[in-house]
Order: sequence, then C-alpha cells, then structure tokens
Amino acid sequence: MDRPVRRLTASRFRTPYAPALALALVAGGLAAWAGQDWYSAAHDDRAAYAVQRDEALAAGEQAVQNLNTLDHRDLDQGLDLWEASTTGELHEQLGSGRADFAERVREAKTVSTARVLSGAVTELDERAGRARVLVALRVTVRASDGTRTDKDSRMLGELTRTDGRWKLSALGQAPVGGAPAG
Amino acid sequence: MSTTRHHINRQRRRQARVARPAATATPAPRCPGPATDGETRTVRSRPRRPVGLVALCALTLLLGAFAGWARAEAESLRAEPARSNTALTDLARTSEIKGQVAEAVDRLFSYDHADPGAFDKAAKDLLTGRAVTQHRDLLADVRERADAQKAVITTTVTETGVERIDGDRARVLVYADQSSVATAGGKAGEQRNAARDEGVYAAAMLAVDVVHRDGRWLVSGLDTFGRP
Repeated sequence: MDRPVRRLTASRFRTPYAPALALALVAGGLAAWAGQDWYSAAHDDRAAYAVQRDEALAAGEQAVQNLNTLDHRDLDQGLDLWEASTTGELHEQLGSGRADFAERVREAKTVSTARVLSGAVTELDERAGRARVLVALRVTVRASDGTRTDKDSRMLGELTRTDGRWKLSALGQAPVGGAPAG
Repeated sequence: MSTTRHHINRQRRRQARVARPAATATPAPRCPGPATDGETRTVRSRPRRPVGLVALCALTLLLGAFAGWARAEAESLRAEPARSNTALTDLARTSEIKGQVAEAVDRLFSYDHADPGAFDKAAKDLLTGRAVTQHRDLLADVRERADAQKAVITTTVTETGVERIDGDRARVLVYADQSSVATAGGKAGEQRNAARDEGVYAAAMLAVDVVHRDGRWLVSGLDTFGRP
C-alpha cells in the first residue's frame, strides 16, 4: 500500500525545479507584457490630448457661465470673477470697461444667471495652448421689477492656456444669418 | 499434516516482511520522510531544496502579482472617461461626423411646400430610433404652417462641435440658421431665390445624437434644450 505513494513523492522531490522555473518564466513574461502595456497606457499621446480637451472644455464652460452671471448687489465679486476667468485682450477690455459697466448694472438692478446647456471643443492646439469652444447657454435675467426673461445664446469662445490654466481670451455670439457653414 | 505447504507459505510471508523495508531503504535517503537511516542526509538536503524553490516560488508570486497589478492599472487608465471619448483625438472620425451631421440637419430641418417628398425622404434616410418621433413632433407645426403659407424653410448649419465620440455613438452640438420665405405659390423656382433675401433668419441650436450604422451616421436623438 505505501510503496507507490513513497515512489511518487520521491520522484516529485527529485525534479521540482523544472516546473517551478517554467512557472517563474511564464510569470516573468506576463509581468513584462503587463508592465509594457501599463507603460504605453500611461504615456499615450492621445490620452494626454484628450485630457487637455476635457480641461479646456470644463474651463471654457465655467468661464462662459461666469461671464454671463452677475448680481447687481454683489458687483465687485462678480466682476472679479469675470477678470479671473479671462486673459489677453478680453481681460483688458473687461478691466477698462469695468467702472462704466458696473454703474450701468447698478442702475438697472438686474440679476443674471446662466446655465450651460451643452458645450464642445471644436479646435485644440495643445502646444500653442489655444482652443475654440462652442457653448450653448441659457441666460436668465431678473429685472428690478421682478420680471424674468430667458434667453438662449450660442456662444463661441476662444481659450488660451496661461500658467497651466485655460482662460477665455475671446467670447462672442455666433452671428445669425448669411454666415456660411464652417 | 498440513506441514509443507503451511510452512512454505509462512516462510514466504516472513521473507516478504523482511524484504519490504529493504526495498524502501533504497529511495529513502532522497526522501525526507520517515526514513530511518536518512537522518544525517536529510539535515544536509533539507535547507538546500527549499531555499531555491522558495525563492523561485516567491519570484513567481511577485511577478504574477506585478503582472496583475500593472494590468489593472492599464485597464483603469484606459477606462478614464477622457480616453473613451475620441472627439478631436480621432480627427478623421470627428470631421466625418461633423460633415454628415451638418448635412443631415440641413436636410431634416428644411422644408419646401412644393416638394414635401424630399422632406419625407430625408426623414426616412437619416433618422432612426426615437429621433423619428422627435423629428415629426418638432416639425409638425412648421410643416403645417409652411403648407398654408406656401413657404420654403431653409436651414443652414453654421457651426458644429463634436461633444463626444464613444465607439459608434456620438453627440454633436449644432448651431444653425433658419430662414422662412413665403412664396406666392405656383412656380417657386425664381421667386424663391428672389424672396430669399427678404427671409427672416432665426438662430437655432440643438444637440444631435448620432449612431454609426452601415458606414453612415444616422440621427438617433434630437435635443432642442426644451425649446421647440
């Protein structure tokens, strides 16, 4: 009874290195493949581009929303946010026209709030740090007499990356009528 | 009596009993088990075998664990929402979608009272799923009014932006201008061209869901952001 069992264990102990080594080699191969796969996933140019695209869009939507939001009771904070969301020419324009604009809003006593309906990046130059976005916006203006008006805006924005952050450098509405598709 | 046979059998049994330990004694030194004479040898062979084997096993486990971890890491990187969206990263596909969506919206939202067949054909060719009823509901009034006024409605897409592409599905933001021209009826051709300049333009924006089917992008959803 105990003779074949002994034989078996004895022969197993005699050559355990071969299968163990084979297993180790297989594991090594798997590890090399998985490591390489991980490396390529982590250093994917397309992925980096996609991340930039999403960052630009998020920043663009937020900035467009900021620039269409203003409460006459809290002008300074609102306009500070406008300036913080912009850069370049647009930033300068807002800065120079700030006093006049604030005066007008103070007189009109309006409260504007904006909601982004949808947004998309149409162009992205990762190296130059420039992007163009479309932002569909719904602006609600509450006048001093309490009337509310909703207005949809088709915004076209241009973003510039400054110090690693995307900021609006131009903003306008898509022209209506006669503009060719492009 | 039963002497000879009984005796022989007994002797055989005795011999077998003696032979058995002798037989097992040969492989015993290599086997670390309960060998009686292998005490000195097992002391020497015991530490040798496990060190190499244990190291190999540990290495195998380590490599296996790393492989599994790296694989999971790569998977989670690829599953990031930014990566699954190939809008702009896949430029060819992005411009293909932009072109086809612009053309589809132009056709789907234009209506000529003199040629309703073209409108119906556009709906049949370009729409799928819930977009069929959405389109019908959106344009039912427009169509009725156009028929009554013998009007021509022309939609021109001015801007498109691909929000996301996820395999064979995509969502596109579209800006379009819509002009409506009421003609005197009859032969529309020249009059339509003459009247177009007086047309009233309306700004429209909508998000279009498209699905890739049989090599073409079909409109599967229309979102006018709660506005007709």
